[in-house]
Amino acid sequence: MSLTLFILSMPIFAQDDEWDMGDWEEETTQDYRISGFFEVAAGLRISDDPLISKDMSLGELRAQFQFDYDLSASRLSLNADAYYDGVLDQTKIQVREAAWQGSLANIIPFGEHFDLKIGQQVLTWGTGDYVFLNDLFPKDFQSFFAGRDDEYLKAPSLSAKLSGFFDLVNIDVVITPEFTPDNYINGDYFSFFSPVAGQQVAPGFDVAGERLPDSPEYALRLFKSVQGTEYALYAYDGYHKTPNSLSETFLPSFSKLRVYGASLRTTLGKGLVNAEYAYYDSREDKNGNDPLIPNSQSRWLIGYEQELVKNLTGSLQWYLERTEDYSSLIDNSLAPEYEVARSRVWLTQRLSYRAMQQTLTLNAFNFYSSSDGDGYLKLNADYSPVDEWRLSAGLNFFYGDEPWTFFNQFEDASNMYLRFRYFY
Amino acid sequence: MLKLFPRVTLGLCCLGLISAAHAEIDVNDLVKESEKVAYYSGDDGRSDARMMIVDSQGRKQMRQFTILRKDVTDNGDQQMMVFFSRPSDVKDTVFRVEKHASLDQDDDRWLYLPALDLVKRISAGDKRTSFVGSHFFYEDVSGRAITEDSFVLEQETDTQYILKATPKKPDSVEFDYYRVSIDKTSKLPVLIDFFKGENDNYRRVEAVQIEEIQGFPTVVRSKVSDLTSGAYTLMEFRNISYDIGLDSDVFSERSLRNPPRQWLD
Repeated sequence: MSLTLFILSMPIFAQDDEWDMGDWEEETTQDYRISGFFEVAAGLRISDDPLISKDMSLGELRAQFQFDYDLSASRLSLNADAYYDGVLDQTKIQVREAAWQGSLANIIPFGEHFDLKIGQQVLTWGTGDYVFLNDLFPKDFQSFFAGRDDEYLKAPSLSAKLSGFFDLVNIDVVITPEFTPDNYINGDYFSFFSPVAGQQVAPGFDVAGERLPDSPEYALRLFKSVQGTEYALYAYDGYHKTPNSLSETFLPSFSKLRVYGASLRTTLGKGLVNAEYAYYDSREDKNGNDPLIPNSQSRWLIGYEQELVKNLTGSLQWYLERTEDYSSLIDNSLAPEYEVARSRVWLTQRLSYRAMQQTLTLNAFNFYSSSDGDGYLKLNADYSPVDEWRLSAGLNFFYGDEPWTFFNQFEDASNMYLRFRYFY
Repeated sequence: MLKLFPRVTLGLCCLGLISAAHAEIDVNDLVKESEKVAYYSGDDGRSDARMMIVDSQGRKQMRQFTILRKDVTDNGDQQMMVFFSRPSDVKDTVFRVEKHASLDQDDDRWLYLPALDLVKRISAGDKRTSFVGSHFFYEDVSGRAITEDSFVLEQETDTQYILKATPKKPDSVEFDYYRVSIDKTSKLPVLIDFFKGENDNYRRVEAVQIEEIQGFPTVVRSKVSDLTSGAYTLMEFRNISYDIGLDSDVFSERSLRNPPRQWLD
């Protein structure tokens, strides 16, 4: 009798066992969540850079700590990285997020129409893929070039973002009280071409003190979606995000900038099309005749993305940067031979492939500039067959004809990297 | 219209001769009813869900998420949002779908990546590809439109109707046909076997446990198996409720960045 029972109940136990997935995370009694990862990363230059002694382009031990605390209708979040940077031999902390986010319902009149996120945060808008026109939020090109994870392309800023949602149109207003520049290439990881010096340099400079702008940055977006098409208008008031101006004493500095733009994104055939425009009003060089300050520019982008075959997606972008008052620029330039073409054109191509039940992701992205005769190829593979870890490998390869062009100045920065991330 | 039997029009006098169990079944009505029960219960709904993905080597992955859904029309367009909470590298990632039932219009899809604060629009893709790494296809989750296939009733048992479905566009899918068992009482599809060629049953989707929630028969445990490799995914739902009064404003870019917490806890 008992044997019969035992045999009868066996398949039931087996069934239950299969469904034993452990506890559901985030039980209702728990208001906070902790997560994060440890990462080790190493990268090597493909060729020597005579200006930088180290072959290592990336070498770090990193720990990310995330803490979220849910209040009744809002959330406090903290996301911080602590890492040892072997290239610079420094230990650093980057607070990527320390913010309160919630609806203003029950806080102000008509509050149900408004969300606020205030504090240290990463911000993104616009339609480009690795190409930014109306997104003037800080970017980290050192991380992008060195092969850190894509999330580090966007750098955080201490900002307040107020969003309003209405039938007519939605609005985002972002105020960044203290100007937050890009993490630009300054010569401590990678050398760059100086048109004034007429050669490659690696000064490892920092723009600090009086040369840092002291006015806030303002960014505005109006957006609306109509029958599957997303429209947006943008404005920005602040400064060039890289120190591409020179002070009267020939030191790198940030000059005033306003940007106005628009974008749309919609489906077209089997794919997606996006178009974006931005006018860069370089306010300290209205007529384009100051050789120390960049001229104003019109920037255009058109992109298309489509799944080519199952699990393989391809995309193309055409980007045009047209410099205003070009003859004034050339007439007054200190180094006209190194100035960019009146119309700088980029063509980008991306192939993205997911394989092995999406545990393996392969990405190839290429920037090619037909006007500069140079380009930048990024290859990346991510492999993660389990939840606990991910192994990534990739290549950043800069190529071109002339040593001073935008991408090819980083030829000696070309590198290969490997990363291993363990999630806890 | 595909029917197993020609419509009986013998008049009132003969009705008594036809027992209920053998009444004529309109296959199209049946699959439409089945689609409604499987994907359109109530006007809206929410559910917590988790999946365990087991590969052919026995390695396991978990996904945990909350689904909000609102029907535009029954058996028609739907709005959907999926808020991921686990594992930690996809935590706070949000997937938004505007499902279009018409075969001429692809679904609109967006993905919110919190680390970049990026709202990425996703181009229309093959719907028979993995949903977030699981053995469920995107189409298993959002529902394969019944207009994609031709159905024939093959067999009727005491408890089930067993239908064979053949794709109208065979080039667009990896199967040659599938066989679906529909529970007579609930009208839920409880077993779907996919075949290649004549008899190669390589894939199975099954309802493992069904509960009645607010009067709606609801699959609370389901399993999809790759019968070739032995890999499978289990999906389990809980905290399910229907007709909770979700406003269509919830299904928007606003909720990607600032999830509507009142519906998630």
